[in-house]
Formats: sequence, C-alpha cells, structure tokens
Amino acid sequence: MIELYGISKQYQKPNWALDDITLHIEKGDFWFVTGPSGAGKTTLLQIIFREIFPTQGQIVVQGRNILKIPDHKIYQLRRTMGIVFQNFRLLFHKKVFDNVAVVLQILGVPQKEQRKKVLNALRMVNLHHKMWDFPSHLSYGEQQRVAIARAIVNNPKIILADEPTGNLDTELAVEIMSLFKAVNEQGSTVIICTHDRELIRNFGKKMLFLYKGKQLRKEEL
Amino acid sequence: MKEVRNNLWQFRARNFFSITIICLSFLTLGIFLSLSNNLQHTAQELSQNLTAVFFLEKNLSDNEKSAISDRLQDSTLVFDVQFVSASDALEKFRVKFPDLKDILENLDKNPFPPSFEVIFKEDNLTPEDIFAFIEQIKSTERVSDVQFNQEWIEKMYSLSRLSRAVGYFLGSILVLASFFIISNIIKLNVFSRKDEIEILRLSGATNMFIRIPFLMEGTILGVFGGALSLFLLFILIEIFPVYLGSSLGVLNDLISFRFLSLTQSVFLVLACAVIGFLGSLSSLSRFLKV
Repeated sequence: MIELYGISKQYQKPNWALDDITLHIEKGDFWFVTGPSGAGKTTLLQIIFREIFPTQGQIVVQGRNILKIPDHKIYQLRRTMGIVFQNFRLLFHKKVFDNVAVVLQILGVPQKEQRKKVLNALRMVNLHHKMWDFPSHLSYGEQQRVAIARAIVNNPKIILADEPTGNLDTELAVEIMSLFKAVNEQGSTVIICTHDRELIRNFGKKMLFLYKGKQLRKEEL
Repeated sequence: MKEVRNNLWQFRARNFFSITIICLSFLTLGIFLSLSNNLQHTAQELSQNLTAVFFLEKNLSDNEKSAISDRLQDSTLVFDVQFVSASDALEKFRVKFPDLKDILENLDKNPFPPSFEVIFKEDNLTPEDIFAFIEQIKSTERVSDVQFNQEWIEKMYSLSRLSRAVGYFLGSILVLASFFIISNIIKLNVFSRKDEIEILRLSGATNMFIRIPFLMEGTILGVFGGALSLFLLFILIEIFPVYLGSSLGVLNDLISFRFLSLTQSVFLVLACAVIGFLGSLSSLSRFLKV
C-alpha cells in the first residue's frame, strides 16, 4: 500500500529531519509512528501525502511513485487519504457540518448524500448534536474530533493522523483510538503519529520508532 | 454561489473599495466616450444636407460635360445634380447681387465657369465616403475646383477622435490601475483564506475547484463596478445640462454628453467583468502551488 525506500529529508544543512527510512505498509495495516519531539514524525506524514518532497529516496503509494505525479494531478492521491493534522486546520468561519462536508463537496457528492455521510461521521465522533456550532464554540477535544470526522467522512483508503489524541484526556484518547480502530477494521490503512507510549501499548499492532530522523526500530507488538 | 455570496459579504469593506475603483476608472472612460459620441453626432448632423459645387473648365465639350454628369449621377451618395452654365451663373449673380451689376457690365467676358451643383443624400453617409467621392471627382479631367464645407466637418471629427483617444488613453491607465488594485484586493482575500485553500488542497481539491469562487468574486466585483459607473454616468448626463448647460450657451450642444450606445454600455460592463476575472486569476497562481 505504502512503500518508502531510503527516504531522507534535509531542511537545512547539516541536519537531517529524516534519514534513510525504509518501510513497507500493507493494505489494512495499523501503524504507529512514534518518537520524541523533532524525531521526524510529522515530516514523514507530510512526505506520504506529498505536502513536501523528500531530499532523497522514493515513495510508492498504491502502486504509484508519488514523486512522479504531476502537481495538477496530485489531488487524485489526496482524495484517497483522510488526514488529521496536528493543529486540526479547521475552518473557523464555517460550522462544524460544513467543515466535515468540505471533503464531500470537493468530490461533488450530491447534497442529500453529503448530509447523510456528515451526520454518520459526526455520530461516530459523538458530535452530531453540535453540527451547527462554529468550531470556536467547541472545546479543544471537540475540535480534534471534528478534524477526525472530516478525515473519515469519505471512508478513505488511507488515514494519516498527526498526534490525534494530543491534549485529550485519557478517556477521550481511548475513545478516539477506538474510532480509528473501527475505521481500520472497515479496511482503511491507518498511520498515526504519537508520542503516547501508553496508547501504543493498548492499541498498537505495528510501530516505527524514530529518533532524530533515524529509524531506530520497527516492531510488531 | 452561496460560498461566493458569503465571501463577498465577509470582506465587504475591501470589496466595496475595489468596486469604487473599478467604477471611477470606467466612469472616466465613459465620460470621454460619451463626449466623443456627442461630437461625432454633431459632425454627422453637419454632414447631412450637404452640397458641393464642382467648377468646370470653360471650353468644355458637350460629351465631356455629360460624362462628368453621368459620373456624378451614378454615385450612390448623390441625391441630385444640377448643371449651371456660365451664363446661368452670371444671371444668378446678377439676381443675387444687383448692386454689383456695374462691375459685371465693365467686364469683357463672363468670368463665371460652368459648374455642377451636387446635393448629397441624407442617409447615414460617413464624411470619409463624401471626402473620398469629392477627391475622386476633383481629380477628373476638366474639373477645375470644388467648393465644399469640408474644414468644419473635418475639425469636428478630429475633435471627436481626439476626445476618444484621450478617453482611451486615460481610461487604459485607470483600467490598468484598477486591474492591479483588484488583483491586490483579491490577493488579500486569498491570503486571508490561505488556510482554507491549504485544507482544500490537502483534501484533494483541484485547482479549478479552488479558483472558481475567487474568479466569480472578481467577476462579480467587476460587473458591479461597471454597472455602477454606467449608473453614475447616466446621473451625470442628466444633471450636467441642468447645472452647467445654460452657462455654456452655444457650446452646450458640442460639450453636452450623449449616453453610451447599448454596444458601448455592454462592452464597458464586460470589460469590467474581464478586468475583475483577470485580476483574480493573476493573484491566485502563487497560492495554488502544490
């Protein structure tokens, strides 16, 4: 599903944000990418959805070398992915419903179906009662759940989540992880960046440990 | 469309500013166009009921006379042709200026040449057609001179052309300025929504999907600006004669404004829309890099 071959990224010499990462992620896998702050977790995710290019290496997603996809066609790759960003990246001038529906609007899903899918996604994150609120009226944890609803609303093949449970209390974090697990069981490949070791212990199947950009170990728990 | 409406409302102060700039730029262009329209109209009126007199050489044979007459009558511009012989011309002079009878009697021979008096049709003849026709006949053999009130009409047309050229020149500068202003205003709008664009891009939106609302906004701003400039021009034309007309006296007819034709009005609004569209397009490209 996702194959990384010797991926390295250098923002500024002489430091490497990522250094020679090789990883094969199978369809339906549930991976954790972990490590301390500055280990290169976010950079790795950004390379997978091609927000940035690696300095070296190749990356194949669903059989296509994504570094060779022309810019004007990159939307095709991103439509197969649901992304939860570390800072959520919500649209604060739009209501919760519209924040989630935006993905479906991009795909040209009919309005009636949009309503149904958005409602389902919001039910999954237990926010359907707040769908007409603005994100600024929600708590931090609720905003995080809106971001997750947006990532899963279209049943993407790949879900990438960057610290999706950061700043959530343990109970809510477990709830969110259960949600990702449920989506994974429906067939989506899930990659989650987190530094929460407890969470990995409870939910982890496969784990990549990064330290200062280097791949220290790959484990199957 | 709902998205576009919301965005226009959200940034209303800035959008109002760009509408005002478009409006003022195109109002200037409109004023000069309308002034030029009026001058052209006056020149056209002057060129109607036109007559020209073609003087012939004295020793003209009948064949040559009829050849010239046929040539004049065959023209689609000519309404009527009258031949005035040398003796007819003398007689006319005598009737018209009886006080100068003595001068004529002291002359040995008739000083008046024979001539053709031509009355042009009242159709929408362009002065260029008439000037070309006169030049053509003037160059005919045995035609010695022509009397025609050409200068005044030419001046009116030159003035009209000058006014239009000044309008286009000033208008172009202002239109260019408004293009950059719109472009920068849209750039501000785009910049203030760069997070949204980023999210759309990362969620798989095509560039076209992202562009369309901004392009529509730019076009709508342009159309509003253009329509407002037409409205203000209309008001100006209605008010101008009331406040200034009486003090201008005879010049009032020349300087008064004539509203733009339907084609010009449509062109003006379309031009505004295009400016708005292009302004948006140019400001978007740097934000749509993947």
